[in-house]
Amino acid sequence: MTAPVFTVDQARYRYRDRVVLAGVSLTVRAGECVALVGRNGCGKSTLLRLLAGADRPESGRVLLHGHPAYAQRRRDVARQVAVLHQQLPPVPGLTVRQLVAQGRYPHRGPLGMLWQPEDTEASAALAATGVTGLADRQVDSLSGGERQRVRLALALAQRTPVLLLDEPTTFLDVRHQLEVLSLVRRLHAERGLTVVTVLHELDHAARFTDRVVALAGGRVAADGPPAEVVTPALLADVFGVRGRVLADAHTGTVRALADEPLADL
Amino acid sequence: MRWWWAVSALVLAVTAEIAVGRGVDWPQLDPLEQRILVELRLPRLVTALLAGAGLGAAGLLLQAVLRNPLAAPELAGVNPGAVLGVLGGIQLGLVPADSAAGALVAALLGGAAGGSLMWLLARDGSPAQVAAYGLLGSAALAGLTTLLLAYQPSRFGNAMRWLVGSVDGRVWAHVRVAWPWLVTALLLAWLCSAVLGVLAAGDGHAAALGLSPRPVRALGLALAVALAAGAVALAGALTFVGLVVPHVARALCGADLRRALPAAALLGATAVVGADAVAQALTVLVQAGSAGQRLGVPAGAVTALLGAVALVVVARRSPHVEVS
Repeated sequence: MTAPVFTVDQARYRYRDRVVLAGVSLTVRAGECVALVGRNGCGKSTLLRLLAGADRPESGRVLLHGHPAYAQRRRDVARQVAVLHQQLPPVPGLTVRQLVAQGRYPHRGPLGMLWQPEDTEASAALAATGVTGLADRQVDSLSGGERQRVRLALALAQRTPVLLLDEPTTFLDVRHQLEVLSLVRRLHAERGLTVVTVLHELDHAARFTDRVVALAGGRVAADGPPAEVVTPALLADVFGVRGRVLADAHTGTVRALADEPLADL
Repeated sequence: MRWWWAVSALVLAVTAEIAVGRGVDWPQLDPLEQRILVELRLPRLVTALLAGAGLGAAGLLLQAVLRNPLAAPELAGVNPGAVLGVLGGIQLGLVPADSAAGALVAALLGGAAGGSLMWLLARDGSPAQVAAYGLLGSAALAGLTTLLLAYQPSRFGNAMRWLVGSVDGRVWAHVRVAWPWLVTALLLAWLCSAVLGVLAAGDGHAAALGLSPRPVRALGLALAVALAAGAVALAGALTFVGLVVPHVARALCGADLRRALPAAALLGATAVVGADAVAQALTVLVQAGSAGQRLGVPAGAVTALLGAVALVVVARRSPHVEVS
């Protein structure tokens, strides 16, 4: 077993009066590919923020390599962990190349950023996500799908061993969804990246990750390999729908079919 | 290619500034005219260059770190605060009226106070709200300044320099105090430009890359205050330079601060030098028809008029500027 990258121990988090996380415990080891699933507002994104050290739990611990993530120097964390947030605010006038080059900040530092000859990591990130052709376009002029791939390029330019993704398939059509998730999966396999990703689609979680963690009521409701976790009971308890789970011989994974919302929810 | 345009415009403005004005008949210069050139017109030119560069760069920094296309030293409380600082200091007898160093310190204190006040009032507002607060704050600070002037109206004539903005009568003694400050602040701003550029793409983005937004924003604001207040101490509150020039700089060189910042400094310098050349030409025209000494047309009057036109052009050309 590899060393734990993240250790979450009884983490609680409250936003104003609402308890978002009510004692979450979770260990993610180096080289794992983990999906966080659950209904809207179940605390998936919050948990990701805590893992990234962007916020601290009200009580309990969130450790990155054995030390509290929130207390570490921001730049040290950014060399370890890249985060793809759900949204990027408008960046008027900035080109794709300029934005992705900013991903090199954790490594280059403030003065190193002043003079950047052709940065191979930034170029490689553009190439890996297939946006080299957009490099000189303005970010704000891109379509949702293009922006999403640019943001993934930004995260890859950080060249971190850990990737945290918050719904990386938002705004993407079916084809781009598969492209982005296949890319993440390939990077996980080739570079041994540790990936924790919030996903809406259970099918995606089952197909592109090795471990599914379902959150409900601010706690971990289920945690394990997709084939064990994705069950009709999970659909009912976590997502509030009646559904079926079928084995797909083609992909070798399970597929979840949601049939109807359960009345009592 | 675009730098070429900017540099050409600067050369043109500088040439006009040196060529136009009272007391010198080109091309044959007698010793008196040579002295006018070296001891009056040259420091005047350098004053305009420094003040313009300071205001242009300050405006760009403010727009970047506040993520607000309507941010400008005159709308962020910095310029009105600096004017209040200088004139208040002079009126209350704390600063000698002719002390360049005294004016610099007073402008910095006033600019920092005005900027901090506006920042506390408006920081959670939308860009348009921030601009509205800026207008109110500027009006309030200008009112305070007027009250101070009424307290000792005999010094009112001198106050015009800071209220409107003028490089008239600035000599090497003033430049000597101002240039180390402004040049240092410009260099520091450029050294910080990459970091400030990361912040300009959003707080969450900056934090994810390992930058703490708050101290970096404070750094950007402090540099903007240093630049704008330094310019105001030297040449008064020249309007529109800090608001319009950054938009032109970004249109020419893109939003990357590492390039936009030198461009804003260059274009700001060009704008103020050009405005003062126009002001001097107007002064000559006005005085041709009348005998006797009159107050020269202040450069600030020209930046206000031409700046308003330029702002309309910029606003119409960039419909994507989101202010809500």
